[in-house]
Amino acid sequence: MQALIIDDSRAMRSILRRIVTGLGWTTAEAGDGQEALDLLEGGLVPDLCLIDWNMPVMDGYTFVQRVRAEQRWRDVTLMMVTTESEHGQIVRALAAGAHEYVIKPFTAEAIVEKLGLLGLLDQEVPA
Amino acid sequence: MSTLAPSALDLEALVTDMWASFVGSPELLLPAGPPADDVALWSATVTVTGEWRGMVSVDLAEAAVLGVTRGMLGFGEDEEPDAASCTDAVGELVNVVGGNVKSLMPGPSSLSLPVVSRGAVELPSEMTEASVLHLDWCGAPVRVRVLTAHSS
Repeated sequence: MQALIIDDSRAMRSILRRIVTGLGWTTAEAGDGQEALDLLEGGLVPDLCLIDWNMPVMDGYTFVQRVRAEQRWRDVTLMMVTTESEHGQIVRALAAGAHEYVIKPFTAEAIVEKLGLLGLLDQEVPA
Repeated sequence: MSTLAPSALDLEALVTDMWASFVGSPELLLPAGPPADDVALWSATVTVTGEWRGMVSVDLAEAAVLGVTRGMLGFGEDEEPDAASCTDAVGELVNVVGGNVKSLMPGPSSLSLPVVSRGAVELPSEMTEASVLHLDWCGAPVRVRVLTAHSS
């Protein structure tokens, strides 16, 4: 399994990387939505994108819209991981095609629980 | 324009929560007095604009900045974070605090990208301090402030 972590903060990417690599996943990283789109255009096919909302160049909401507009990326699971916690923002992101929404600050357990709800842990949980 | 602001208790709850989740230190944040004038602080701010308009600032002594950066980036105790790493970690810290403050206030509103400065920042004259939280972490001062626009 592979996660693409999209956040302009290196610290946040590091926190998320430690959580998902702890599950045995591999990771790729992007500092904004455009950089992430470039990786997808270049052939990267992650199982999951973890997406911040507020980023320079291209924000996470726009990234979700762009990914969902392309049939070829329909199998990529999109999870917003953001400080944006207004109800209207959450509704917008889900309506645009995000599958899940996690509000910062989060715990590792909260991320793992969401991955389980998305059915992404079936073959990953250590025996 | 609203001059509502979260209470110091609200700030303490969210800062403590954030510290536990991201910094990962067993050392507790403790209530404290204001930092001494001669303590050099890093300052990080985000601005909220919309239905509620305000600014959130987090000020930390250098020792706290290094500790936060080590924790968030997963550095070892013997690793010395560089300035770019410190700026990144402190920026994300104020981003999370600011985002959570925004969620406590009337919306809709939007959050700016963080601005981080090694040294005190001049706060806008149209803003007034509405809430302040003074903490101590491992002997280093940490201050969280919420500023709101003057009511018109």
